[in-house]
Parts: sequence; C-alpha cells; structure tokens
Amino acid sequence: MKMKKHYLYIFLAAGLLSATGCQKSNLAPVPSTSISDLSAFSTASRIEGQVRGIYASIKNSGMFGGRYQIFNDIRGGDFMNDRTNVVTGYDIWSYTPSNSSTNSVQNHWRRAYFVINLANVFIDGMAAGGTAVVGDALSKNYVGEARLLRAMSYYSLLQFYARPYWDGNGSKPGVPLRLTGNTGSADYALARATVAEVYTQILADLTFAEQNLPLTYANATLNTTRAHRNTAIALKTRVYLSMQQYGNVITEANKIVSATAPFTASTGVAHALQADITNVFKTPYTTTESILSMPFASNEPPGTQNQLGYYYCPSAFNGGNGEYSLLSTGIISNAGWLATDRRKAMIITSGGKTYLSKFPTGGNFTDWAPVIRYAEVLLNLAEARVRSTNTVDAQAVALLNAIRGRSDASTVFTVGSFANAAALADAIMTERRIELMGEGFAGADLTRLGLPLPAKPGVNSIAPTGQQYIWPISSDELLLNPLCTDN
Amino acid sequence: MHMRKLLLTLTAFLLFAGSLLAQKTVTGKVTDDKGNPIPNASVLVKGTTTGTSTKADGTFSLTVPSNAKALIVSAIDMTTQERAIGSQTSLDFSLTQEDKTISEVVVVGYGTQRKKEVTGSIASVKGAAIANKPVQSFEQALGGRAAGVQITIPNGVLNAPPVFRIRGTNSLSLTSYPLIVIDGVPAYTGDFSGTSAAGNALASLNPNDIESVDIAKDAAASAIYGSRAANGVVFVTTKKGKAGRSRVTLDSWVGFTKTFGLPDLLDAFQYTDHKNEALVNAGTFNATTNAFALTNGPDGQPINTRWYDYVYRTGIQHSNTVSVSGANDATSYYFSAGYTDQQGIIRKNDFKRISVLMNIDHKAGKAISVGGKLQYSNEQNLAAVSSGSLGDAFATAGLGRVPLVTAPNISPYNNDGTYNYSGALIGVMGNKQGQVGFNNPVIQLDQNRNNSEINHVLANAYVQIKPVKWATLKSTFGLDYVFVDNEVYFSPISGEGFASNGSASSWFNKNKRWVWTNTVQFDKTFAEKHNFSLLGGIEQQKSDFVGYGLNRIGVTDPSFTDIQGGWQTPNTAGLGIGENYLYSEFGRLNYNYSGKYFLSGNLRRDGASQLGLNNKYGTFWGVSAGWEITKEKFWTGGLDKIFSSFKIRSSYGRVGNIGGLGNFQSLSTFNSGLYGGNGTVVFSNAGNNNLGWETSTKFDLGFNFGFLKDRITAEITYFKNDIDGLLLLVPQPPSAGLPSNIPDNVGTMYNKGVEFSLNATPVQKKDFSWNTSFNLTYTKNQVTSLAPGITNLTASTGGLETPSITIPGYAAGMLFVTRTQGVDPATGRRIFLDKNGRQVFFQHVAPSGQFRFAYADGTLAPTVSAADAVVYKNTNPKYVGGFDNTIRVKDFELNALFTYQLGFHIYFGTNAGLRDQRFWNNSTDILRKWKKPGDVTDIPKVIFGDNISNGSAFPLDVNVFKGDFIKLRTLSLGYNIPRNILEKARISTARFYISGNNLAIITKYPGPDPEVSSNGNGTINQGIDRNTVGNARTITVGLNIGF
Repeated sequence: MKMKKHYLYIFLAAGLLSATGCQKSNLAPVPSTSISDLSAFSTASRIEGQVRGIYASIKNSGMFGGRYQIFNDIRGGDFMNDRTNVVTGYDIWSYTPSNSSTNSVQNHWRRAYFVINLANVFIDGMAAGGTAVVGDALSKNYVGEARLLRAMSYYSLLQFYARPYWDGNGSKPGVPLRLTGNTGSADYALARATVAEVYTQILADLTFAEQNLPLTYANATLNTTRAHRNTAIALKTRVYLSMQQYGNVITEANKIVSATAPFTASTGVAHALQADITNVFKTPYTTTESILSMPFASNEPPGTQNQLGYYYCPSAFNGGNGEYSLLSTGIISNAGWLATDRRKAMIITSGGKTYLSKFPTGGNFTDWAPVIRYAEVLLNLAEARVRSTNTVDAQAVALLNAIRGRSDASTVFTVGSFANAAALADAIMTERRIELMGEGFAGADLTRLGLPLPAKPGVNSIAPTGQQYIWPISSDELLLNPLCTDN
Repeated sequence: MHMRKLLLTLTAFLLFAGSLLAQKTVTGKVTDDKGNPIPNASVLVKGTTTGTSTKADGTFSLTVPSNAKALIVSAIDMTTQERAIGSQTSLDFSLTQEDKTISEVVVVGYGTQRKKEVTGSIASVKGAAIANKPVQSFEQALGGRAAGVQITIPNGVLNAPPVFRIRGTNSLSLTSYPLIVIDGVPAYTGDFSGTSAAGNALASLNPNDIESVDIAKDAAASAIYGSRAANGVVFVTTKKGKAGRSRVTLDSWVGFTKTFGLPDLLDAFQYTDHKNEALVNAGTFNATTNAFALTNGPDGQPINTRWYDYVYRTGIQHSNTVSVSGANDATSYYFSAGYTDQQGIIRKNDFKRISVLMNIDHKAGKAISVGGKLQYSNEQNLAAVSSGSLGDAFATAGLGRVPLVTAPNISPYNNDGTYNYSGALIGVMGNKQGQVGFNNPVIQLDQNRNNSEINHVLANAYVQIKPVKWATLKSTFGLDYVFVDNEVYFSPISGEGFASNGSASSWFNKNKRWVWTNTVQFDKTFAEKHNFSLLGGIEQQKSDFVGYGLNRIGVTDPSFTDIQGGWQTPNTAGLGIGENYLYSEFGRLNYNYSGKYFLSGNLRRDGASQLGLNNKYGTFWGVSAGWEITKEKFWTGGLDKIFSSFKIRSSYGRVGNIGGLGNFQSLSTFNSGLYGGNGTVVFSNAGNNNLGWETSTKFDLGFNFGFLKDRITAEITYFKNDIDGLLLLVPQPPSAGLPSNIPDNVGTMYNKGVEFSLNATPVQKKDFSWNTSFNLTYTKNQVTSLAPGITNLTASTGGLETPSITIPGYAAGMLFVTRTQGVDPATGRRIFLDKNGRQVFFQHVAPSGQFRFAYADGTLAPTVSAADAVVYKNTNPKYVGGFDNTIRVKDFELNALFTYQLGFHIYFGTNAGLRDQRFWNNSTDILRKWKKPGDVTDIPKVIFGDNISNGSAFPLDVNVFKGDFIKLRTLSLGYNIPRNILEKARISTARFYISGNNLAIITKYPGPDPEVSSNGNGTINQGIDRNTVGNARTITVGLNIGF
C-alpha cells in the first residue's frame, strides 16, 4: 500500500516534469513589428518600401528635413542667433562647432552615412536578388533613386566637412568614400578620399540616375517627393556649380531650361516658375516649381528642435521658438528688395525683429522642406553663364528677370543695368539670398566661391583659409576610424 | 482558510476537553536566562494541539489532560525546551538565547542552507535593518550593510532605482544590476515609469514586509542562477507567520525632507553687473539693445528671485504598515497592509504606495504541503516635469538645472500677478536680451503632469510532496505582473506644450512574466557522517511586453487637460511589443563530512530567446569547498583558545549575464515607417547570429573566524571575477553607416578585490550593550581588451556631452576630459593643453589681429576641443563600505550607520553650467574672475557667449573632483517602552524613535552630494554629476507597536 502511494507520486512527478519541457518555439520568437533581413527583398512592395525608406532617412530632420538647410543658412550673414543654444546651432552660427558638437558635427556625419549605407545595402540587395523580384526596368529606376540619394548625402558632407573644390582643384581631403553595403561586424577603417574623388562619384551616381530614372510619376505628389530624371539633372547643376565647372552647369541646365522665357522644362516633369512664389510653400506643396521636397504631415512630423518653422518663426506667430531672426545688416537691409516684392510677404515683424515666415505652419511644423526648386536651377544657369563667359550675358539677365519679375514686376533688369560681369554676378548672388533664403544655400554659396564667412554681432569674420571655414570631423569617427584625419 | 482551521481546532479542543473528566491545570512562568519574562511564548502539551501562550509577565496557565506527559515551550529566537509534567502543577521554564550561528539559515536559490554549512560567499541583511526607513524601495537602504555591496542613491528624485553593484562593475554594455529573486521568483527590476517620474519596479515591495535579504556574491552561491548570475543574486524573502499566538504589529513613521548643498548663486544685482561686464568684454554691450537690467517688482523694489524657492520644498512623508501573523502546527500566515505617502524635495514629485501581502503555508497532510503568496501594490509616481536627473541631464525643462540657469533679476510672475512668459520661454522683463532663461518653472510646476501609476502583482503558489523523508518534490508557479499607466500633460500656456498648443499623452505598458519551477531534492545521511543533499530542477520563464497609447496635441479649449478632452491631432504613443523566454535545467549537490568538510557543486544549463540563432544555450557551473578547522583535533592544542571558530572556504565557477539585452537584438531587421504617407522598410538593426552569453569566471577564497565565543566574528574574502566574451554593442565608425551597434561577444575585463567584515559585541550587559559592525570592500576594475579594431568606447551624458571613456588598461568609465592649465595672469585667457600637450590660449572674442585659439607666441592654433581630451580619472570607488553601531542603554537604543565610498572621481558637469558665460546665472565663485593684468585666479576673463572656457562646450579637467565621502547615513534614537507600562495597555512591544537620514557628510566634493549618478545605473558613464537634483536629508519620527 505504501509503496503504491510512492509510485503514484513518482508518476505524478514524471508527468509534471514532462509538462515543463522546453517550449522550443519560444526560444526563437519572430518579431511581429519588423521584417527579417532574410526577406527584406522578397516582395515588390518591400523593395519599394526600402526605396521610400532611403528617402525617409534622408528626410530625417537632421538632414534634408530641416537641419541641412538651417546649417547652411545660419552660416551666412542673414540670420541672427537669439537663443545661444548649441542644440539649435549656436556653434554653427558663430563658426565654432567642435568635433564633439553632437547636434551638428556628429549627427550630420552619422545621418549622412546612414543614408549612404542604406543606399549601398539596397543596391547590393537588388543585385543579389531584388532585381529578379521587380524586373530589370523597375530595378534600374529604384537603383537610380538610391544612387541619387547617396549622391545628395555625399554632396551634403562635402559642403560641411571638406575644403571647397577650388582649394587645390579637389585635391584636399574629402570624406571616406563607401560604395558597398555594411550589415555586420568588419574592419571599417577607411581614409578620406579626395574632394575630387568624391565629386567624381557624385556625378557618376547622378549620371546613372539621369539615365535610369523615370521621366515622370503618376501624380504631382510623387513628382515632388520621388526623384525623376529632371531631379538628377537639376542636382547636377548644383554640383557643377560647387565645382566651378560652369560649362557643365550650362550643359546640364539646358536639358531642362528652355532657351527663352518663360523658362520651362520641355521633357519629363514640366517644371516652371509659379506665378506667385508663396504658392510654392503652401499645401499641397507639389507645384511643378518644386523639383524635390521632403514631405511632412501630422503623422509624419519633423520632430522637436528640427523644424524649419520652429527655428525661423517667433512664438507669437506660429508657436515657433524664434531661434533665428533676420539680421538687420543682412539681406533684409537690401534697398533693391522692395516692400512690394511678393517675397516680402514671407517676412514678418514681431517684437521689433524681423523673421522669415516661409514655413508658417505651427503645431507640428509640417511645412514641407524644399530641397531643389526650379528657381534655383534658373539662378544656377544664370550664374554659370556670367561666370563662364565673363560678360554681361543676356540670357543670364533674362533668367534673373524671371526670378525677380515674378515677385516684383516693377524691377526689370537690362544688360545695361550692369557695369560689368562682376556686377551681374553680384546681382545674381543677391537674388539667390532673397529668393532661396531659408532653403539651405547661404553657407555653401560663400564657400564654393571662396568668400569669407561674414562677421556677425559677437562673431568675427572667417577668412577662406581659416580653420573654421569648414567643420571639424566628428570625434566619434576620429576615435573609431584610425585612418580618418581631422580638418 | 486559516480561520476555518482555527475554528475546527478550537471545536475539537472543546469537545476533547469536555469528554475528559480527568484533567488538571498547570501554571508557570517562562523567562530568559537573565530572568526576564518572555511574553508570547508558546506552551504546548506534547503530541497535541492543546496549548496556550504566555502573558506579558511570562506566566501561563494551561488545563492539561491527565495523560499529558510533557510541555513544550518555544519562543522566537530562543531555544525550545521540553519538561515532563509528572505530578507537578507548577512548571517554570528558563529559555536560553538561541545560538543563531547554528540555526541561522540563508536562502541559496531553490532552497535554504544552514549558514554554518555554506561554502559560497553570501551576505545576509535582516529585514529589521531596512525597515522603517524613508525610502521607496528596500535596496535603497542596503548601502553599507553588507561587504561587497555598493549602493549609490543617484539623485533626489523619489523612487529612482539606486546604482546597485556587487563587487564592482561587471559589465559594460549590459546591466551591472544584480538578479533580484523575490520569494523564489526572478523579479522585474529597473525604472518602469515612462514619464519624468521615476518608477522603480522593486518599490512594489513594502520594505517592512521583508524578513531577510541574502546576497549571493561568488560563483558557488550564484551559479544555480547560471546565465543571470554574473552580477550576483539577491534573494529577498518576505515575512512568514511564526509559531505562537497571532501577532499584530503597527509600524508608522512621519517625517520631513529637505535639500542640502545647493550651489550659491549670484543674486539679481550681482548677475546684472556681471553679465553686463561680460557683454562689455565681448564688445557688444549696448544699453538699449544688448544689456541686462534690473526690473522693479510690484513692491517697487528690484526683483531678486531665488529660484530654488520655487522648485524645491520641504516635503512631508509618512508610512504606515499593519501586519497580522501567526502559525500553528499546520498553517502559518502573514498578512500585511501598508500605505505610504512621500513628498520629494522637488515640488509635485510624490510617491504613494498601497501594498498588501499575504503569505500562507499549509501542511495538507503528512506528505503534502501547499502554500503561496499574493503581493499587490499600487504606486503613484508623480512629477510635474523633468527633473533632468534620470538620464536627461540637458532637458530644457529639467528642474535640476532651471533654478541654476534662470536669471535672478526676473520673476516667475509679472507685476500684475500673471505668469511671466514669452512664447515657450520665460519672459526677459527689463533685460535687453532675447532670452534669460528656459521655461518658466512655476508654470511647468503649476500646470504640467508627468505621472505614472504602477499596478504590480507578485504571486506564487506551490505544492510540495515528501513521499519519503529524504525526498522532496516541489512545483512552484510564480508570476510578476507590472502594469504601468503613463500620463503626461503639457499646458499650452508656455514651456514644452507651447509649440504644439498643449499636449496630452497616455500610454499603457503591460509587462507579464511567469516562472514555473519544478524541483526534486534528496537529503540523506549515510553512515551518520556523510551528509548528501542533491537538487535537480527544470525552470521556464516567459516575459511578455506590450505597450500602446495616444498622444494628442492642439487643445481646442484650454480647460481640457486630459487625453479624453478636445484635441486636434492624434498620434500614437508608447507603441511596443516584445517577448523573451528562458528555459533552464539545473542541479546542485551538497556534501559534508561530519560538519567538518563541505563540498558543493552547482550546474545550470540555460537557453535564452534573446541570443543568436547559433548560440541559444549555455552551461554554467560553480564548485566550492569549506573546511571547519576548529573541528580538527590538532586545532584543540591551543589555537582554539584564540579562535572560537575558523572556517576556510573557496569557490570557482563560471556564470553568465544577458541582463539588458534587447529581445530581438541578435536579429538583423528592417523596421517600418512612412514617407509621404506610404510605407517604408528601413534597415534598423544589425544583428549577430552567433551572439552568446557574457561569461564571468569567478574565484573566491575566504576565511570566517571568531574570537571570544564568537562575540567577535570576522570574514575576509579575496575575489576575482574574469569576464570574457563581454557582450559589447560594438561601435563602428559612424561612416560605416550601420543602423545600430552590433552586439558581439568580444572584450575582457576583471574585477578583483578583498572584502572584510567585522561584527562585535564589545559590551553585553543587562542595561548596556554595544554592537558594532564594520565592512570594507576594495575593488579593482580593469578592462583588458575591447573588440578588435576598437580602441575605446565613449559614452555620453544626456546625449550632449561625452565625458566618459572605456579603454583597455583602465577601469570602465574613466573620465575623458580636455586638459587646462589655469588662466593667463597677463590676459585672463583660459589656457588649454592640446592633444600634443602644447599650451593654447583661448579668448571667446578675439580682438582684430588676434586669434580665438592661439599659441603662447600669438600664432594661430588649431581649435581645441573634445578631440584633445585625455583619459583622466577613475570613477569606480576603490573602497566602499559601512560602519554600524548600536548602543543600548536600558530602554534606549542609539544607532548610527556610516557609509563611505573612497578613491574615485566625479565629473561635476553642473559646474560648467554654473560658469557658462551665456545668459545663464553663475555660482558666486565666478566673482573670482580675472579682471586686470596680474590677477592670479582660476576663473578666466568673462566674455559674453563664452561656453568654452569653463567646460560647457566640451568637458574639462577643472570640473573633475575627488568624490570620496563618508556619510552619516542614518542616526536614530529609539526608546522601548518598559514592559510594566505595556502590560497595562495589553501591548507586548512598543518603540518610539527619531531618525535622520543623510544628516552629515564628510567630503571635499564641491557639488551638492558626491553620492550621485546622472546616468543612473550606466556602467560606462558613471561618476557624472550633470544638472542632477541632489539627494535629500530626511528626519522622521516613528512608532512600532506589537500586540
């Protein structure tokens, strides 16, 4: 009897133990909110999702969603820093960022290379199997987009971290040039390529994109938010301008700018200036003037302390933080910029200061961030014509008039308005400051021409030879990449 | 259940008593060996349930059947005594104090072991030592109580998890926090609040419900927890009922808490002059457009605001616990209910907890026992806004920083009584500046909410079967559920909610864990001397997490302050989902020969879901041996006259760590998002299929010995922990473009050191006794290698500055700062040392023809920055410990606990802010600034806008200070009300006390408190004091009553 009871216990215990066995599937759970790398190229929708993912990443507010533009604008002489906050670019504005400046030097470097690697991983993955899923034609479209975004990222890096092309004709240190996707542990030490080498790669990427991107997309939104052939061409005009290769600027621009006014693109998306510039910056933000913009919405907001409208508008206007007002000695003081100029509608006054209100939407500050606008292409072409011919070029004047006249019909330039080519070039540069203010050109426009960075209240001018003329390299990069050198 | 049992017993007793005519009454008195009466002692007729307990004067009267043979008397902490009744009607008992060293047991994981037989390194802390303290969670009170244990209260925010280290920093990327096992269930640890209020999961446990805390430190003691044992294992045992009459206790205390050591700041007049001087020096002063100016307040006098007064307060705290417990032969029970309401030193930072605990154990028959526990708590962790102390050192709203930064010449209110603000920021009043502060703290404190409510259940149930005397089968099912309601509201008036026109977020986090443990244990003695104990078991642990919520912005009417009100835009908040699973098989064999030689072996095989596909399983083990030398014959020749006990023990083993590893971190995955309203797929995590455990190989050698009949006992232990396969999130050059640092088992580190503890009772008399205990732990931590190609790991504070570096050849988390060499007496410029050791003179605004950064000869020098930083000082305390003294004089009891940490440095980053030359207010030491050629001072010439000279832009050596401190952690004076008074009130014990926490501190550290950590439990960014709210000083009065 007693023994039987023992057997019963042992039997029960054995049953219990077997019930407690390992639940093997629990040891390798499959995440329900992410996609495994093994299947990221397995369907057409995931592949297109990855293309959009590269855009979403370059849209990151640390890059073309806001901060790339802001950093360029506040390096110029038109904005006043009112907050002395390093998080919102005080060090950039005062030309004093350090290697460890997190929100500028470190973050832009990291984000740009994140986009570059995404593009590389995508390009590799398409070659390895993705092309077979979507077919050769679509694959080329997508790879074209990836390469264009990679080029944009490298271009943005060169503007901040490398000496301009004119200094030694591109022979100075550029940035590490990475063209294959990184997904795991490896030795990633890599020295900086020269400026010229990086520009060569940028142009190779853009040329590939030009040859492989679709001419147009199905609707205006996609034409503004996804790269098409004219996007690649427009970007090339900017890149050649930075290299001072004005002949190439003209060649590229002529592909999408008609010979005479009204200037329009005759193939691909029919880019043209809008009659009223303010419409370009209003919902739905998809006029044919916007070649590439970064879309925002309330469920796709730019994130705190990154938003264009938060930086440039005062609290009384849209709840912004008024990080930067317009410097009274800057372009706002230009006498030729008339009060009746339509672009003055995007300037407001608050608390005795003037502010740029190009991005007026408050709340989540969801105004789309402009990246390439047709007006820029026209100004690029105008400038290239003057600088390449070194004459008061008639088409340059016509292009300048197209920009000025659209907002200020009362001012009409003629060839006779300019004493010489330099005067016309100056007028075009002035027009850029007015037209493109807040869109990320001021800093790069100074450095590509070798102009000093201007003095500002409490800040000395920086000569083109000065160390502060460009940013230092990220200290994280210097610590972890032994082959990388500082500026 | 218990009541029914009691009734049945009672009824049976009455029936039994009534049926027997032959019975008699026995009376007597129970005393201790000094003749003091023992109340509440249990008096039982042997072999029956007939019994009673003694009164307050120790007497009893019991009717016993005539066939009763003997009485058994027992009392807490006393030896049990049995005396034959015979023909006597009066029997007195004199009980002796139980020799605790024989009966004392420690928890060892899946069981207990007699302390005498333990060969691993285990420190025990009694519940009484951590009860009734003004803390939120028990481990906050462990500091100084046990050798090898370092507790650092990181800040003055209520319910922030303390830094908890056992024998040093044992991991770099993973957690260094020990595994906490509460009543057999591995519990959730860490901060579970999603808001700016802290919410330590362990605060669920009312410290007054804790019976003991046993801390397993070496491989032998912890290996039974295999893969989670590398940081040590802390076994928490809650109270159970004890034999005898049921006991009711009431513990209450009330107190107040205040700040101490706040920096002295410039007042409005000093500030205004000082900042104007800085503007003049910068060449930008303009009285009408660029200047600082006083503003008159409503009383017509210049406004002079002490911002501390608006942010800090004297907090009132109280705590009350009631418990009922008892046990008879079959059933023991412990019920308690507690409520505590504590105000912190920061306004609106409150902690409220309702807790209940039920512990029941029941013998259902000869072979079967069942039991379980249910612990529930509701915690309200409240705050208005960020304190800037929970890893968010640079939060704009951070209340640690705001009172330091904000200009003292403005007021939180306009003269008409309305709030002073301009957009999101505080208004500048008369200052001709864009900004003279961040958010208006008064608006934030009045309007905003950052609350987190935690409902926490810890429960288990077990059945235990003993089919034969030497075998025990046990199955325990435990669960730990943590449900967190986070609620954040930012007012649209100003501050964080301004830009979005108000913001309300609510999100729910559900953490559910179950643990099912099945063990079998055999205990058998062969040939009377060979004692074996063999344990085998299987355990599964599953944890699931789900989080979801809503954020709404754009309030439609300012009266809506809840998520349910009227808002324009909905967004998601707090979305998350995850799971992990651990499957384990384990065993233990203990052997001892005649109580003289001890051997023990532990083995555990763990499989964890978080690890790489190719590396899910790991095997861990520990062996130990002990030798009780006093039992040897040769010892009795003379050494026994010196030593009353002497034991040598040693252990060796290999244990692991995965604490803090993400659920899916070993996988390479792509996440989804949106671009232009369409879905994206973005490479988001770089994984590693070979990811395995971090392993620690631990060696331990210890000596336990006693003198004078163990009135003095001491313990010396040498330990070494070699950690290899450190699971590093290996940083790659940012230009590699990887989405995340790749987890890999690379890198090695060791901790070695010596622990010493001494317990003594120098005086033990009837009316006067003195107990003292001292412990000291010396630890040396050194990283010996990192990943191939990775020369160092830097770590940031608050995401904005990088003052910490981990580099082979040094301890983890060294300070990494740029060197300075004072101030140039001729020009007042800050002198930096660049990476080549060359002096570089800095002036924020250089006159024309000069440079901001220049060599001594005036030529241009490259910009000095964080790239010139050097590995500077160690942040790991070399020595930590405590010194505890209890002196009893008659009914008074004085206790003083000192804790100390010595031999380490702190980066006082706050100091950089206190000397920042933007609009920020400065500490009064800025008045030492350089003014004219020849001035010899440590403060450079002040130039407005200068955030470089004093360390705001990048960390400097001038803000590194020695952190050594000795603290009077608690000082308490208690009074036990004499028995003769209590008897009249039918109370068995009553004690009043007054107690102070953090009353005194000896240190040269210039900040508020060197016991600080801006990065919480961070392992490679410790020793940082950046904008952190300092610790509180608390005084309480309390009462403990037992019925």
